[in-house]
Amino acid sequence: MNTLIPPVVIDFVTLNFSTLVPMLMAIVGALVILCIDLVNKNLDKSLYVMLSVLFLFVDLGTIIGFSGDVRGFFDLMLVDGISILSQIVIVFASILFILTTMTKLRFQEFRYPEYFALYLFVVAGFQFMVSSDSLILIFVGLETASMALYTMIAMHNRAKAIEAAIKYFTMGALATAFFAFGSMLFYAVTGTVELGQISEVLTRTNFDNYGVILVGVVFIVGALGFKLSLVPYHTWVADVYEGSPASFAGFLSVVPKMAGFVVALRFFEIFIASGDMYVEILLYAIVVLSMTIPNIIALLQTDIKRMLAYSSISNAGFAMGAILIGTTQATSALFLYWMMFFITNLGGFTMIWLNRTKQNSQFATDHALEKYSGLVKSSPLTATMMALFFLSLAGVPPFALFWGKMYLIGSAVNAGYIILALIMAINSAIAGYYYLKPIVYMFLKEPLEDKEVKYMANASNSVKTLIGFCAIVTILSIFFIEPLLNIISYYVQISGY
Amino acid sequence: MEHILSILIFFPAFAALIGFLVKNDSIRMYGIVVTAIEFVLTVYLWANFDTSIGDMQFTEIIPIISSYGVNYLVGIDGISLFLVIMTTFMTMISIIGLTEKRDLKHMIITVLFLEMTMVAVFVVLDAIIFYAFWELSLVPMLYIIGAWGGKLRIYAAVKFFLYTFFGSLIMLVGMLYLGYVYYQTTGNWSFSILDWNMLILPFDMQFWLFIAFFAGFAIKVPMFPFHTWLPYAHGQAPTIGSVILAAVLLKMGTYGFVRFSLPLFPDASVYFTIPMAILALIAIIYTAMVAYAQEDMKQVIAYSSVSHMGVIILGIFALNVEGIGGSIFLMISHGIVSGALFMLVGVIYDRRHTKLIKDFGGLALVMPKYATIFGIMLMASVGLPLTIGFVGEFLSLLGFFKVHPIMTLLAGLTIILGAVYMLVMYKKSFFGPLTNDENKKLKDLKGRELAALIPLVALVIILGIYPKPILEPVDKSVSQMIDIMKVKAVNDSTKVRLMESNSIAGGQE
Repeated sequence: MNTLIPPVVIDFVTLNFSTLVPMLMAIVGALVILCIDLVNKNLDKSLYVMLSVLFLFVDLGTIIGFSGDVRGFFDLMLVDGISILSQIVIVFASILFILTTMTKLRFQEFRYPEYFALYLFVVAGFQFMVSSDSLILIFVGLETASMALYTMIAMHNRAKAIEAAIKYFTMGALATAFFAFGSMLFYAVTGTVELGQISEVLTRTNFDNYGVILVGVVFIVGALGFKLSLVPYHTWVADVYEGSPASFAGFLSVVPKMAGFVVALRFFEIFIASGDMYVEILLYAIVVLSMTIPNIIALLQTDIKRMLAYSSISNAGFAMGAILIGTTQATSALFLYWMMFFITNLGGFTMIWLNRTKQNSQFATDHALEKYSGLVKSSPLTATMMALFFLSLAGVPPFALFWGKMYLIGSAVNAGYIILALIMAINSAIAGYYYLKPIVYMFLKEPLEDKEVKYMANASNSVKTLIGFCAIVTILSIFFIEPLLNIISYYVQISGY
Repeated sequence: MEHILSILIFFPAFAALIGFLVKNDSIRMYGIVVTAIEFVLTVYLWANFDTSIGDMQFTEIIPIISSYGVNYLVGIDGISLFLVIMTTFMTMISIIGLTEKRDLKHMIITVLFLEMTMVAVFVVLDAIIFYAFWELSLVPMLYIIGAWGGKLRIYAAVKFFLYTFFGSLIMLVGMLYLGYVYYQTTGNWSFSILDWNMLILPFDMQFWLFIAFFAGFAIKVPMFPFHTWLPYAHGQAPTIGSVILAAVLLKMGTYGFVRFSLPLFPDASVYFTIPMAILALIAIIYTAMVAYAQEDMKQVIAYSSVSHMGVIILGIFALNVEGIGGSIFLMISHGIVSGALFMLVGVIYDRRHTKLIKDFGGLALVMPKYATIFGIMLMASVGLPLTIGFVGEFLSLLGFFKVHPIMTLLAGLTIILGAVYMLVMYKKSFFGPLTNDENKKLKDLKGRELAALIPLVALVIILGIYPKPILEPVDKSVSQMIDIMKVKAVNDSTKVRLMESNSIAGGQE
């Protein structure tokens, strides 16, 4: 049992502090913003937004400098291809999502510089999470990000915000506990917390203590399930999204999950690679349920934001399918899918964000379907943009998400998961139905006469530009797929997935 | 001529975008000019088409996702040539005859956009890009039915969209699988139908893939029992929607069978001949009976469409040159005839805002020109010799007669049924006394309506008497396709069956 804790040998050359630089950029940015607030309290939010963007750009630049498989910082950090790729997605998505706060209406939370500092902490946390295979550092990153997220949700000036924050917090705390407990079990069995070594030890010992390992898996699945909103741990999603501003809900539906996927990828790889049947069945069940159940619930929603929330759960289920399949192509598909999903979801959530009004509307919810009745008559461009993003989400070619879906279903087919591919196809058809609903309201129904609704009340030129960017990418995505796939598969291959 | 097919695809889309800048009151002329240019381009294509070969012509390839074998690949052969011409022709005619006044600009732009997808479906040879346009065509049609349709338009539009969307997704899985099979066999990815035609697949695989593709095509055709969306879609769609739906969109399904199912899965096609024929036969008999019971003129034609599509399927699964060539001819003739019939119903609906047969009677007295044209189209629809409808129907049935005489006999008998419901409808609404006062003041066809309908009448008669210019190039490509099927068949029985059904000289071989 002397192998349990290896002696710590500190060698500054091998510490490789450069692996920390990207996250440090975000953290320094956050601190700078907080310091500026100490000096002058009356600065406009645009300064903070632009500062965040600036620091995130530097962050992005330092990530691109890596070329893969660098270890550092007491072996806690692991910057491999997957890590670089997901950090690029996380940081890039964060840059675009922070721009959505540049809206016309003034909302309470954006007046506080802390909001932006927290935002940068979130990004740093997720960057930590994806650039490590040590369960401890993953845990630290996860908590850094989550704590900041809880606070940001609570800062929102709507009645439901506190409810959402508390819900998210309690669920998240439970997930944290699960994660800690699961890690502990793995440590107990293998004597290490590094996923790479856990895998080695497990293979070497031929999965001794299988029962304990399985319990550990169940706990980790629970923890990741909360973060990735997989069924049956998805119940918080709709309420939390409803309680947050739409732009932030969009962020929640994309960025944290990207980080979660990477952890799931590293974790499940251990079992998928060794062909562990129980874990595979478990994962299969989770994937199928996560695709199907939220999809069916989404059919019943009358609020667009809640509908998008359920749909993003289903999309997470889709992407988890890639991890279940476990081939190189599937892993590439995961990233392609998520990039396409990110750009479409950014567009979709931002569109409904722009249509928010400050007063509580006359409708049951902020984004009730009826609110958008006959939108094409009063504001054709708005309706067209929204329809474009919804069609993309529904997987209608040639718009962005279709290519992700195609490539993912293709990788399922190639790996022999025909049934899974068919389930994916059927789910896409179900999704087609509920995405059609807002389109039907906008394009085919007559406008409401007695109710006065303001559209695009929240729109500013900068956000409109952002929407334009998303729309162009969504429409012309077909031309980006090839170069994107090349980059993705390069990074995926160098990290051996 | 090099990029003619790409021009054909993207010209209407480009014109649609530019169309936003045209003022509302001039948009109709804009639409007519654009679709006329498109039609002239297709005629030009025909003029340059080498009818002596059955191969793909004017092919063009641009890599899109080359690492996954997805290319923009277009090409045209005798099978697709006339479908493209029919598409552009019917689009032009339907815009000339357009009577809609509400939101005309959106309507025209949508139709132009739809034209792009329809032309593309017939000329694209890469399965994934084919799928992309195939799905994309649903969106403008959804809008046309849903925004300009009747009372139940939204229900009809959504039903149309979802039915076809669902079926196509299953087909997509099949396509992806076939791409993978190609990769496994050759080491390269490809979704090109030309490459796929080289594949020899074991029967089991063909069996499942046939079913996957069937899901996509059968719903589109629509075959019994997947036809339930069609009467709704037709019933609720505005005239132009019905015209395009019947003339072109339905043909996508039957074209898919010819282009994909037959050459790719020859053994499965033989295996499924009888089940397909039974479904087709049910469609022919059942929907003919349903059509008889309809009170709405448009529904009669809608159900007769399903019935005729059954004959087309029967012809396709004859798996011989007469049958397939005949069914392609029938696709074209049905496109023209049913398009014309829907337009004619649109004319009367425009004047009276009703399509119910019982509201009419004695129309021939007040609208002689209308009654004449309606009569001619009706004759073509029931397949009277010397009209366009006869040629295709006759050849399809002749082709299938070699395979299964009794079934063909049944199908032939029901053509009489078809004549019955059509003629009864005609008798009820056009002959007899003018009972309804409102009908007494009805005006006969106007100039624009005549401009749209007379070319159709001319075609119906000319091609009915002299179908050779179309039949010849079609048959050339079809016999080449059958040769491919013979080579690719893995079961000896399939080879025998293909030999047998093509053995008796049909005049073309």
